[in-house]
Amino acid sequence: MRKYLRNLVAIAVTLTLLGWAAPALAHAIIVSANPTADQHVAPGKLAIHLEFNSRVDKKRSRLQLTGPAGDKTDVPIDQAGEPNVLAGTTGDLAPGAYVLRWQVLAIDGHITRGDIPFAVGN
Amino acid sequence: MDLLLDTFAFGSVILSGVVRTFQCLAIGGIAFLIFIALPLDRRAADDALAPRTLQLTRMFVWGLLVTVAMLLALQVTILSGTAEISLGEALGGDFAVAQIVRLAGAILMLILLYGRKPPAPLLAVLALIDLGAGVATSHAMARIDARGLLIAVTALHHMGAAAWIGGLPCFLSAMRRLPAGALRAQVGTRYSALSMTAVAAIAASGIAMLIYYVGSTDAMYGTAYGMMLGTKITLFFGLLALGYCNFRVVRGLAADPSGSIMRLRRFAEVELGVGITIFFVAASMTSLPPAADLMTRDRASLTEIAQRLTPRWPDFTSPGRDSLAFYEQQRALDEQRAQEGPLTLQAYVPGSGIPLPRNAEDIAWSEYNHHIAGLIVLVMGVLVLLEKTGKAPWARHWPLLLIVLAVFLFMRSEAEAWPTGKLTLVQSLQDPEFIQHRAFMVLMTGFALFEWSVRNQFMRNAWAQYVFPLLSALGGMMLLTHSHSIANAKDLLLIEMTHMPLAVFAIWSGWTRWLELRLDGTARTIAGWLWPIFFCLTAVTLLLYRET
Repeated sequence: MRKYLRNLVAIAVTLTLLGWAAPALAHAIIVSANPTADQHVAPGKLAIHLEFNSRVDKKRSRLQLTGPAGDKTDVPIDQAGEPNVLAGTTGDLAPGAYVLRWQVLAIDGHITRGDIPFAVGN
Repeated sequence: MDLLLDTFAFGSVILSGVVRTFQCLAIGGIAFLIFIALPLDRRAADDALAPRTLQLTRMFVWGLLVTVAMLLALQVTILSGTAEISLGEALGGDFAVAQIVRLAGAILMLILLYGRKPPAPLLAVLALIDLGAGVATSHAMARIDARGLLIAVTALHHMGAAAWIGGLPCFLSAMRRLPAGALRAQVGTRYSALSMTAVAAIAASGIAMLIYYVGSTDAMYGTAYGMMLGTKITLFFGLLALGYCNFRVVRGLAADPSGSIMRLRRFAEVELGVGITIFFVAASMTSLPPAADLMTRDRASLTEIAQRLTPRWPDFTSPGRDSLAFYEQQRALDEQRAQEGPLTLQAYVPGSGIPLPRNAEDIAWSEYNHHIAGLIVLVMGVLVLLEKTGKAPWARHWPLLLIVLAVFLFMRSEAEAWPTGKLTLVQSLQDPEFIQHRAFMVLMTGFALFEWSVRNQFMRNAWAQYVFPLLSALGGMMLLTHSHSIANAKDLLLIEMTHMPLAVFAIWSGWTRWLELRLDGTARTIAGWLWPIFFCLTAVTLLLYRET
């Protein structure tokens, strides 16, 4: 009985710890962005500029563009510049709906992701 | 792969809290060893002081080593999987390097701690290295402005917490094992001095962090970070009150070394429990953006907060399951998007789950759940008070109501999830809230059975009576970081605002019940009446819960 109860306590404590929730909000957040959500931009190359509230590890961060046909391409990240800015330039963009997915690794080890939907042309 | 990553990310949040706790316990053990156990050991008759402190500290350093290794493995796997880079590249990140340094430091600590005479200066250096590497994974490291200052104050904050709370297990062990006399009084005096220095360090660094991470009154009350910090400060003041009571006992011991230390030991136990709760709150706060970084539009205004907190008679009618947003899916979401425009804060942590759309019925459903839960808890609280009068022995069966509550919540929470909703068990497990709520239900049933058996004397083991208070406190701790997956800072805050008092009441209800069981005399009587009152306050908060 004692062993059984001890196991029950262990299970209960483990479950309590497992119940720990991941916060819905992330550590690194965007302070300013180009493009902004739902913005319409002109066809052609697009200069991406995402400014964060914290220093980011650019080598281990990622910018990925999903095109109107669902095709995904990585946008090379400029390694120079401000420590809290992710910047890069896309290839020529044809009119249509796009989603820019960014993922940053803050210097303190927190990973944050986000999506910016935007449109090329009208 | 996504499910695997989500599960791993979820695990890393849990582990961060455990790592933080082991870090404080290990460094606190080393501080106790250096400043108290080793200098006073020559006067100890047997192995009550230094050997026992060494034994405990070794255990904590082992805990640190294992949990840091697990956290590193998880973080690197998540990074490698999500950024599509190799494990080697992921291991080159600053955070990973910091964790590797901690691993090496912990191994060296263990080598020293297993030696015959551990060299205090080397142990101190290793403790400081771990502290520094820990700070490298805190907010301070990633700040753009005042980075150096914030790194320094964060290190001071962590050092203070480790010396005070982290040293408590060694202090408790020494107080329990040492016979009454001058040596025991001296251990008390030295630990008291160490704790007071630590409290000063925590307070000073805390104020500096408050200025830089919060910065204004509206950021303090209008953001989740500020609100969590407020709760942390409230718990800290509770710790200070307990610490002050212990300080008086220690001062009394200096005059009369043979005096009773029972109250001191019991209060120190509660200090340790509440202290660990604060470590978990702090660990979860590192994943929130600092309040100062959120723009005004993402903060809740005083009017919005007052509106949400204005008491309203609880609603005991529930909407039908079919009217919930999950079953209406995108229609409601599209309408909301059309009305509100793009969300201002589009960021999430892998593993935080995908926010579901919510409509008026969802809110009414959730409020109804909280109100019925409040009603059941209130009846329990009143029954506990009745039982205490000694005139209603039948009221001792109150724990069985917890099973009623668990069944109710099992049927009602996450209407879309397993087993009553359309989602399968595997799909449901991807939502952290689902796991939290189900864990709560298992805990509640456990509470109920233990406490009922104890009160009816079916279970006579001494430790069984501590299960209820400990799990109450753990439940409160869990609720304190309970988060709703809403990608909107303001909504999140307004809901969290009502969960935080619930959590604090649950924590204090658990610990005052603990004191009732562990103390004697007037203090026992006071604690005995306090915990059902905290219980009733929890019920009232649930009854007044609202999401609009």
